[in-house]
Amino acid sequence: METALRSALGAAAQNITAEDFDAIVRRHQRRVHRFLLMLLRDADEADNLTQECFLRAYQNRSTFRGESSLETWLLRIAANLARDHARNRKAGFWKRLLGLDGDDNDGIADQVSTNEASPEQALLAREDVRAVWDAANQLSQQQRAVFLLRFVEEMELTEIASALGLQVGSVKTHLFRAVQTVRGKLRDLR
Amino acid sequence: MNSTDNTHDPLVERALVSFDLAAEHHIAGCQPCQAERDHLEKALREFAGANREYAKRPEDFWEVQAARIRAARRESDTKSQLTMALVPSVVVLLLAAFAVLGRAPDTRTTRPAAAVAQVDADHELLLEVERAIQTDTPRALEPATLMVEESDGTLPLDPALRNKETRSHEN
Repeated sequence: METALRSALGAAAQNITAEDFDAIVRRHQRRVHRFLLMLLRDADEADNLTQECFLRAYQNRSTFRGESSLETWLLRIAANLARDHARNRKAGFWKRLLGLDGDDNDGIADQVSTNEASPEQALLAREDVRAVWDAANQLSQQQRAVFLLRFVEEMELTEIASALGLQVGSVKTHLFRAVQTVRGKLRDLR
Repeated sequence: MNSTDNTHDPLVERALVSFDLAAEHHIAGCQPCQAERDHLEKALREFAGANREYAKRPEDFWEVQAARIRAARRESDTKSQLTMALVPSVVVLLLAAFAVLGRAPDTRTTRPAAAVAQVDADHELLLEVERAIQTDTPRALEPATLMVEESDGTLPLDPALRNKETRSHEN
């Protein structure tokens, strides 16, 4: 189905039917939403920008040439939206002031699976996750995007480069700095 | 050497960023680096798993979101169709407006007339100035000149002036 949609988009993107596009939404909305949620740390904004991302994709479907995967193209739109959103600091300021900021590292740490052998190990695992999250918060948005796409979305370096409009070398540099920061945080913990 | 004072720092990062043969070779033979790499990889795996769990939503959420996207897409389609429908009408209106303004008979006929009147007035003024230059005496001093000429007996033989002189003596 993916191949059919991609060929439909590549060959005659303007002629894509509403049903085709609905199928694209259903197939990719989870990943786009998760990426935006991790990047923005704000559930409401992630929800809004996911919708905006698909709307932009629909409106600009004629520009999709099939050079990258459909998912990479969607993630690129999402990353651009997140970057534009980050530039608008007014909303963030008021959210932080009112305590509505979505920086929920405890909530994420609580999601650590409880398959650990002992409660102590589970606690250590939660602390590690919290440390990684703190480290991710210290990164620039681009470094964070690269880091999340690599280690959460498990994307290849070339895919990340394509999604963020970077050279592979720049992706490696961002990733190196991100891993270095994470490693530093984990060391501080021990 | 424990994990906190590992001096082979960048090798673990290099191995995690992408495949690096030299780094892999070192880590394979270095226990502290191997332990640190394992710890880092485990933390990253847990972080990824926790994020995926955190981002999970009930099926209803995705249905509602898909419905909202569908509605926004339809609205976008309607707007673009409306725009496409309005463009020809606006073009026709603009063309009609240009056609009406292109005729504009009143403004074209009245403007030259006013210009001609202006040119005539200028021409009259020019002639008057030329006349004034040709006479030796300024117009304001003409009566005084007449008196002087009369007293000198050099009154010009202009019949108009002579009549005027006669009339003045009649009084």
